[in-house]
Amino acid sequence: MILAVVDDPFPYGWIPPYNTLVVAAGVASVGFAAGVVGCFAVLRRRALAGDAAAHATLLGIGLAFLLGGGRRDLPLLLAGALATAIAALLGLVLIGRWTRTRDDAATAIVLGVSFGAGITLLSGITARGIPGSAGLGQFLLGHTAGLTAADATILGAVSLLAVGMVALFLKESTLVAFDPLFAAASGWPVMLIDYALVVLVAVMVVVGLPAAGAVLVTALVVIPPVTARQWTDSVGVMLPLSGMFGLVAALSGVAVSSAVPRMPTGPLVVIAASVLLTVSLLIAPRRGGLARWLEARRTVAAWADGRLLEVALRLDGDGPFTREQLLARAPGAAADSAFKRLVRSAALEPVVTRGGTHAWRLAVWGRELAAERSRRVAAWTEVLEAAREDARGHLTIDVPSPEAILGAARMKAIRESAAAERVAGGPRPGQPWQPGQPGGGAGG
Amino acid sequence: MTMSTTSAGLEFHDVTVAYGRRPVLWNVDLTVPGACLFGIIGPNGAGKSTLLKAALGLVPLAGGEVRILGAPLEQVRGRVGYVPQRESVDWDFPVTVTDVVLMGTYARLGWLRRPGPRERSLAAECLDRVDLADVADRQIGRLSGGQQQRVFLARALAQQADVYFLDEPMAGVDARSQERIFRVLAELRAEGRLVVIVHHDLRSAADWFDAVALIDMRLVATGPVEAVLTPENLRRTYAGRLDLLDEIGRAVAEGGRTP
Repeated sequence: MILAVVDDPFPYGWIPPYNTLVVAAGVASVGFAAGVVGCFAVLRRRALAGDAAAHATLLGIGLAFLLGGGRRDLPLLLAGALATAIAALLGLVLIGRWTRTRDDAATAIVLGVSFGAGITLLSGITARGIPGSAGLGQFLLGHTAGLTAADATILGAVSLLAVGMVALFLKESTLVAFDPLFAAASGWPVMLIDYALVVLVAVMVVVGLPAAGAVLVTALVVIPPVTARQWTDSVGVMLPLSGMFGLVAALSGVAVSSAVPRMPTGPLVVIAASVLLTVSLLIAPRRGGLARWLEARRTVAAWADGRLLEVALRLDGDGPFTREQLLARAPGAAADSAFKRLVRSAALEPVVTRGGTHAWRLAVWGRELAAERSRRVAAWTEVLEAAREDARGHLTIDVPSPEAILGAARMKAIRESAAAERVAGGPRPGQPWQPGQPGGGAGG
Repeated sequence: MTMSTTSAGLEFHDVTVAYGRRPVLWNVDLTVPGACLFGIIGPNGAGKSTLLKAALGLVPLAGGEVRILGAPLEQVRGRVGYVPQRESVDWDFPVTVTDVVLMGTYARLGWLRRPGPRERSLAAECLDRVDLADVADRQIGRLSGGQQQRVFLARALAQQADVYFLDEPMAGVDARSQERIFRVLAELRAEGRLVVIVHHDLRSAADWFDAVALIDMRLVATGPVEAVLTPENLRRTYAGRLDLLDEIGRAVAEGGRTP
């Protein structure tokens, strides 16, 4: 932009026209809100219901167009879209409730039927050449070029309203999405909250139509949440993050399409969203593919190193040993590279025997390493016996020092309780409670 | 918080539940006194969980009524705590252990109000009681099965209820966690609360419960443990389930209380 000021290569001026700015802001809010609202659709496993609603919007657009006497009035068309989207969701609920059709089949039926009806109606309208009907096809794949500032303002306002609703009812939505049974048992109107969330998804699908189109708009609701989930373990972070991903996807899709004449925006928005998703699936810490692959490799290596040291310590008692002797006693795909690592780190040192064959022994450092490892294994064994379940969550395959992880005080407590139990003759189930014995339970 | 000891904690009157035309519970008539550990025991598919859900209003009754603390559920919902089956939720959900325990305070908070320092310190207290203070900030998926079960128990403690319903709280839990959970439940009883537990292990049932109900779609028997867990009653409950006869024999031989 700075360069543009200097060179002024744009004959029409470098400041984007007012309309473009307003449309960009509107599309940005739509992307953000779709990402936020979509989180609960994804967490509650309702992503496909949103897709069915999206495909049902075309029918509503056609009906609203006819009702409005052929006016191409965006708010009117979107109101029609919302009506059929909600009708489709209602259809899903009814099919699920009163027939024995499975959820996935019901979704496919509603999606197919409503989309088919919508396409038929729109084709009929365009075939008759009703004036103003030419632009209706744009709702199929999205096209923001025709948006006016007034339209974009409405889209943006509805989006911000949707975000406000989610922010307001974050506590209730999270509870119902995580544990509907518990929510219902403690008196929350689970159905109401559930429906409200699904209707909110329908609203976002509808206001997302100009940006992404009926066929692809669910991507705007589903892909950003999945992307955001890769980076965080907290709903409170996932929501705004998902919103940001949605914003970036929507804006970049619209920006690229505006540079190419007659290019629909929907596919570009989806491509932008999937680039973010792909990168996140690969490089996100802990949940990302790369992190998992590295962790798996490290796990195998750490285990092989430890096993080899363990065996080496035992063999070392009888003097030098050969590589083959060592590997035969600690088999495994990673044993060979573990051996090389031990040699490189000088935990093993070479000995030339009289026969001239290469043999090895543990260096002083290697012996210390091996001794420390077996001490830790012994300590963990004790801890696992005394407090199995809690300790198991902390034990990793590289055998960390239990004192460092559990703390010296806790280790001492565990040891003492284990010792007390040994004196008492092993763990026993609690004594039955007797009336008049407050506190009850608990022998030991 | 304490209940009057004279009124029954929980009453089922002629409760019948059906899924479609198939009956799951058949005319169950059962009264549970206040302040005790009460086990609901029976084979798989006997309708044990359904009985809890009927009490909590989670399944529609085909007939009959349930009263808790002498009143219909709607009037006492705030005094009822619930531990659902562990498998009923997605443990990959992006919430921490503390987040889940705080959910126990939501009903008291009502719409829109968020948990504050008071709720947070209550949650910390409840986590401490089930020995999970050191994993308070972990995502719930990174816990063992028994720890997850204890998170649910801590959430129920945060409900500060007078009547607790627990659905298979010992499923997938090792012996030590099991004992810890039972101790907390015994504390609740000592505080004057009623604890109703769907349970499958006959031996620990005999060790811990004050009274039980044997259920196999219908109510087979109910009363104090030593009176109910008799070979005759068990045979009637587990009739035809030959694979279980061994287990029953062992349980009766070792687990039953000696008079």
